[in-house]
Amino acid sequence: MSEFVKVACTADFADECKILLEVDDRLVVVVRVNDEYHCVDDVCTHDGGPLGDGELDGCHLICPRHGAKFDVTDGSAVTMPATQSTGSHEVKVEGDDIYVRINE
Amino acid sequence: MTNTVDVTEFNSEGFESFLSARPQPSWLEQRRRTAWSAFEEMDWPTRRQEEWIRTDIRLFNLNKFGLPTVLDAPSEAVHSLLGDGLELGGQVTNVDGVCVSSSVSDELDAQGVIFGSLDELAGEHSELIESHLMKSGFDAATDRFSALHAACFTGGVFLYVPRGVNVELPLHSVSQLSDGAVDLGHTLVILEDGANATLLAESHSTSEDASGLHCGGIELVVGNDAHLRYVNLQDWGQGVWHFGHQHADVGRNGSLQWTSAALGSRLAKINQHVSLSGEYADCQVNGVLFTEGKQHLSYHTMQHHVAPNCHSDFLYKAALQDKSRTVWRGMIKVDPDAQRTDGYQRNDNLLLSENCRADSIPGLEIEADDVRCTHGSTSGKVDEELIFYAQCRGYTRNEAIRLIVTGFFQQIFDRITIDSVRDALGLAIARRVREYE
Repeated sequence: MSEFVKVACTADFADECKILLEVDDRLVVVVRVNDEYHCVDDVCTHDGGPLGDGELDGCHLICPRHGAKFDVTDGSAVTMPATQSTGSHEVKVEGDDIYVRINE
Repeated sequence: MTNTVDVTEFNSEGFESFLSARPQPSWLEQRRRTAWSAFEEMDWPTRRQEEWIRTDIRLFNLNKFGLPTVLDAPSEAVHSLLGDGLELGGQVTNVDGVCVSSSVSDELDAQGVIFGSLDELAGEHSELIESHLMKSGFDAATDRFSALHAACFTGGVFLYVPRGVNVELPLHSVSQLSDGAVDLGHTLVILEDGANATLLAESHSTSEDASGLHCGGIELVVGNDAHLRYVNLQDWGQGVWHFGHQHADVGRNGSLQWTSAALGSRLAKINQHVSLSGEYADCQVNGVLFTEGKQHLSYHTMQHHVAPNCHSDFLYKAALQDKSRTVWRGMIKVDPDAQRTDGYQRNDNLLLSENCRADSIPGLEIEADDVRCTHGSTSGKVDEELIFYAQCRGYTRNEAIRLIVTGFFQQIFDRITIDSVRDALGLAIARRVREYE
């Protein structure tokens, strides 16, 4: 199992609700919803679109290509045209630091 | 033994060092400078561009690699899959983009055949190479990768066969890449009218998980009534970024059989373009892809019918394991004058795991009205009934899957007319098959 890696600080989310990051040679989106942080793969399972470029609607990330929605809390596909979950990864916050552990 | 090639950064200073370290004709230096200017002006492709929509290169960082600036690399034993045990007419070996050995038989030399490192021969055969290099459809300004390649290519392979010469023994080239190294080799093959030749080219890394960068180019010029069999086996390490622009031009009554096998690399984006520019030209392309892990192989092919009465036949077969992905985008383009075109393209994908993905997009662009163009695409999983049938007869599950995968590729193997290539590919593929429940 991979280790937790520090990826960002809570201060980075002062003006942003989502940030695209590279963790373990993988592009992921870390999202802040209220005061909770979540992490999903930056890829829409429908056509490979960049989720990180999409809008955040509550806890749903919307793919900019065809509008598929994903729940950032677990990566599940909420609407068509996506039918499969995208990768979801563990997040923990210690103090001001945000850590992510990639789930393979 | 480690390679002693010095490297410099991919910037203006590095490029000047790179140029000053290599003797070359003035026309070549000027072309390199033009390509470098284009490279500096362009941006990397983005996924907003149609060709790159399904291929994400945001994790690619050119600054992790460097330009080779030393012309000699120590000679070391380089293994090969296609050339071992085969009687050859000539051989070229490149290590980390530098030629370490090249040879051609006295008999071929006496007939005027030229075979060796493109880098080394550019000066000796300046006029010949200048008239063909990156002329027949290869456009250095296609994208930033082609510009980088045109500016900084090293090593490579040059084959010239004069008019009417029949090269009976196959010629062989092998390119090896060390961990983290760069290969920008260019292959230029010129067959004059009535010539015949077979070229087996292979590439690999020093270890299965090695990283590196390959940004290559291939140009095949097949003259009137000439016949070329070209095999390209790519088995880079799974950390290698692999980009390539490949062009072929086939003249009147000429034929090209091109077998392309892709087993390695972390991410590959290959543009393969064949132009049938002479009447009754023929080309057959056989593609084999076998992916695993998180590999991403993207092949964009083009069958361009320029002249009438030409025939093209592209067959690409891919087997995918683990979480790997293939993208195949095929196009048959028929010009208005290319009447009585007979074009065929097909892509078959065998999905061996739950999380792999194959994107297959055949296309036609036809401007003539008396043509036959056919395309097809299939994607599917292994039929569990077939596995059960084999197991009932004493095969293990893994043996059964291996049999089925071999059977899947058999149509390609049957089209390969070189025994050693067929055997080598079959072995390489069989070794890769894993068992899935």
